Parts: sequence; structure tokens; C-alpha cells
Amino acid sequence: MRRLVQILSSSAWLGWQVEANWADPVLFLVYAIAKPLATTLILFFMVKVVSQGHATAETFRFIFIGNTFFLYVTEVLIGISWTVFRDREDYETLKYIYVAPIRLLPYLLGRAFTRVATATVGVLVALLFGRLVLGLTIGVPGTEWLLVLAAVALGLVGVLWLGIILAGTSLVVARHSMNLNEGLSGLFFLLCGAVFPLDVLPRWARAISLALPFTYWLELLRRMLTGHGFAKSLAAMSDGDLWRVLGIATLGLCLAAFLWFGWCERFARERGLIDWKTNY
Amino acid sequence: MAPDSAGSGPTLGQRIAMNAAAVYARGSVRVKASFRERSWLVGETLFPFLAMSAFVLVYRGLHAPREYEGFVVLGGAMIAYWNNVIWGMASQFFWEREQGQLQLYLITPVSRMSILLGMALGGIAMTTTRAAAILIGGVLLFHVDLPLSRALPAFGLFVLTLGAAYSLGMILSSLFLLWGREVWHTATILQEPIYLFSGFYFPVSAMGVVIAIAGSLLPVTLGLDGIRQVFYGPAAHGLLPLRWIPPIQIALTTLFLYIAHVALRFMEDLGKHEGRLTVRGD
Repeated sequence: MRRLVQILSSSAWLGWQVEANWADPVLFLVYAIAKPLATTLILFFMVKVVSQGHATAETFRFIFIGNTFFLYVTEVLIGISWTVFRDREDYETLKYIYVAPIRLLPYLLGRAFTRVATATVGVLVALLFGRLVLGLTIGVPGTEWLLVLAAVALGLVGVLWLGIILAGTSLVVARHSMNLNEGLSGLFFLLCGAVFPLDVLPRWARAISLALPFTYWLELLRRMLTGHGFAKSLAAMSDGDLWRVLGIATLGLCLAAFLWFGWCERFARERGLIDWKTNY
Repeated sequence: MAPDSAGSGPTLGQRIAMNAAAVYARGSVRVKASFRERSWLVGETLFPFLAMSAFVLVYRGLHAPREYEGFVVLGGAMIAYWNNVIWGMASQFFWEREQGQLQLYLITPVSRMSILLGMALGGIAMTTTRAAAILIGGVLLFHVDLPLSRALPAFGLFVLTLGAAYSLGMILSSLFLLWGREVWHTATILQEPIYLFSGFYFPVSAMGVVIAIAGSLLPVTLGLDGIRQVFYGPAAHGLLPLRWIPPIQIALTTLFLYIAHVALRFMEDLGKHEGRLTVRGD
């Protein structure tokens, strides 16, 4: 256990240096919050321009919460798989991880720390911005903040395991397949109803949406922070149901990640892909 | 190409021919490369299309008038070009330096502007396939109304907008020339915040006149605003009268090309003095 903590902290420190030492902390902070704030404001103005009699502040609150927490998915999901490409092809250091007395999986989880940290800063700043500048009410009198934290953490664990699945895939595909990982994040953004109610999706797309854990995660967070649900398709489910689905899905992702990553790692070593260079 | 018989360097005709060849060579490489890797084609079309679809559905969820969905589809197509300006023009000399090709450009007897022009034309050709897919997909999937009778003036304005946008890309290219890893982050930061200030998903006038005018320093802002006005008239909530936009875009193109020319020479000299034109893995 102590060894695992050592690996996680070392790779987290390395990840921080790689991600953040190109700029001073203030500039890095601006960089970390620019995207979530810009996306929040895009949605704010979209709602504002059509607000004549249709959209309400309540609708924007739902959109705002979904968009803000989805930042974890975009940042962490893409971040972990991107680490494989960067280490393998830009810095050419992935092979040295194999000659060090550590395993790749905990190393990658540690490297994800910076992404989790920057996403957390982005989420917190966006929430503060929503509260103080846009005047949104985040939370209701009955909101249990520890449970909110637990729900965020559970969703984040699911995102991390899905990131490991993508990282495993990245070990066996060429660098330009990164586009597909980014596309997957875009697909989740579309299908999880991060910024619109699921009910506007066509029926076939809604069926896919209901198979994705992040759909339940965002609905749970919305219920906790606003006091009621957003998606009519999930109205029949209680909060307990949402917790259960999210918990089971996270366990499933964890199991799938271990199996898939292990297979990909073995395949990459057998085929000599650990120091593959596919950049052009 | 050999110098003329007097040994005084190439003639004007030869120089023009060399530069035209450089434009063609750089442009054609970009077009061929973009079609060689199929996953890029899928990724560069699908990724922006998914994001665009999400924003279309935001308006649908808000029961907004249908022309707002048209705003998003036009914005989504324009984003493809803006991303190409950022990743394919502005940061291109950084990639070239990383791959050890920048010095090859610098020792050739052609203008750097010709190489950038080739990049721009190749980039436009490549991105047009992506933008067209986004536009066609948006029209077919979301039944967005784009009146074809107004397509010609919209296309004219679109061409002027691309001229100004890629000229801006040439300026950024010279600025990015000497940077290291911060190129990645700068390019990233020029995405979502620019989507906001250029009003890619909503009429830019919604942000108020002062911010919208500031955002209009970016050619894509005014271009998109004008194209929406052409297609949707007053419903586009245009920022400036439509007839003002073409001369502004022409003026911006001229200004940006001049600045790019000066900046490129300055940054190249600076890079030579500081020995940073061949630094790799920074």
C-alpha cells in the first residue's frame, strides 16, 4: 500500500510538472478556468437570446450544472489516454516506465491527478461564477453537501476507469487515433444530456443515453443541487435507484478497465508497441 | 531553379514561378495528407459535429425559433475553419520545428509568405470537406433551413471572411514560431473563449455592443454575423449593417497580411539571434 501511494504521488508530481510548468501559476490558473467559464457563458447567452417567454432561469440552472460537472469527463477522460501518446511518442519515456520497478496502471492513475485537479478548479470556479456573477442558486435548503461530494467522487471514479480503458486502447493504436477518443467525449456530451433535457433526443439516441452511467450521474447531481429532476425519462427513478445504477456501473467499469488494460498492455509488449512512434 | 546567365539571381518571372510552386507544393501536401489518414477525416468531422448537435439540441430544448438552430449549424461549420487556423496555421511552424523541417523552409529561396499561403489554401481545401459535412449533416439531420436563393452573397462574404481569418493565422504563425509547449495551451485557449466572443452559437450582439465590437476584431465574428444576416435577415440580430461587413473584411485582410509579413521577418531574425529555430522537444 505504501509503495502504491509512493507511485501515485511520484507520477502525480511528474504529471503536474508536465502539465503546468510551462507557465507561472497565475497564467496556468487562467488557462484552467478559461474553458469552463467560456462554455458557461456561451450557454448563458444562448438561453438569454431565446428567453423571451420561453426559457427560464431554472432551465439555465439545469444546463449550467450539467455542463459544469461534465468538465470532469472531458478533462480526465481525454487526459489519461493523451498521457500514453505524449509519453510514448513526444517524450519517448514510456519504455523507461517499464524498466522502472512500477506498474503502468497506477502510474497512469497518478498522472491523471493533474487533470482531476485542474478540472476541480474549473468546476469550483464555474460554480462560484454561477453563484456570484450569474446569480444562480446552487443547492437547496435540504441539500446534503457531503452526499454531493460523494456523488461527484463516485462519478469521477467511473470517469477514471473509463479513462484507463481508453488509455489501454491508446497503447495499441497509433497516435492519430486520439481524434477518436476526443470524439467519444463529444459523444458523451451529446448523449448524456449535459446541456439539454434527454427528452429532446430521438428515441433511439435516448436508449443509448440511458445505457451511459454519466446520464445518471448528472441527473443525480441536478436533483441534489436543485431539489428536483431534469429528465422526464428518469422521473420514475428514485435517488436511491440513481445511486445504485451509478455504483454498479462504476464497479463494472473498474472490472472492465482491469481486464481490458491488462490485455492491451500484454498485446503492446508482445507486438513491440511500447516505444512505437507514429507521429507524422 | 538555376539563376539567370548573368549570375545575378533569379529574374522576377523565375521568382514568381518559384513562389507559385512553393504555394502549390505546401498546399497539395496538406490536402493529400488530410485524405491519407482516414481517422482524421472522421475525427475532424465527427467531433465538431457532435458538439454542434449538442448546441442545436440546447435550442430545441429551449423551444427557440428554428433559425437559432441554423445559427448553430453555420457556427459549427465556421468553427472547423477557425480550428484549422489555430491548429493548422498558427501552430504549424511549431510542429515543423519539432519535426526538424523548419530549417528546410528557411533555406529555400522562396518567401515564407508563399509557404504560409500554401498552408492556408491547402487548409481551406481540407477544412471545406469537414465544414461541408457539418453543414449538410446539420441540414439533413436537424432540418435546418438555409435558403439556397441567398447562398451566393453568403458565399461571397464567406470567402472574404476566410481571407481575413487565414491572414490572422499567418500573424499567429509568426508569433507561435519561437514558442515551446505553451503553443499547445495557447492554441487550446483560443478555442472555447473564441467560440464565446465570436458568437459561434448565438448572435454576437447578445453580449452587448462593446464586447461584440471587441470580438469583431476577429474576422470570423463579423463574417459569421454577416452570413447569418444574409440567410435570416433581421432575425439574425446582426451587430453591424450588412453592407459594412465586406469592406471591413477586406481592410482586415490587407492589414493582417502586412502585419504578418513584418512579424514573420522580425520573429525569424529574433529566432536566429536567440538560436531557437532548431530547438526541439521544448
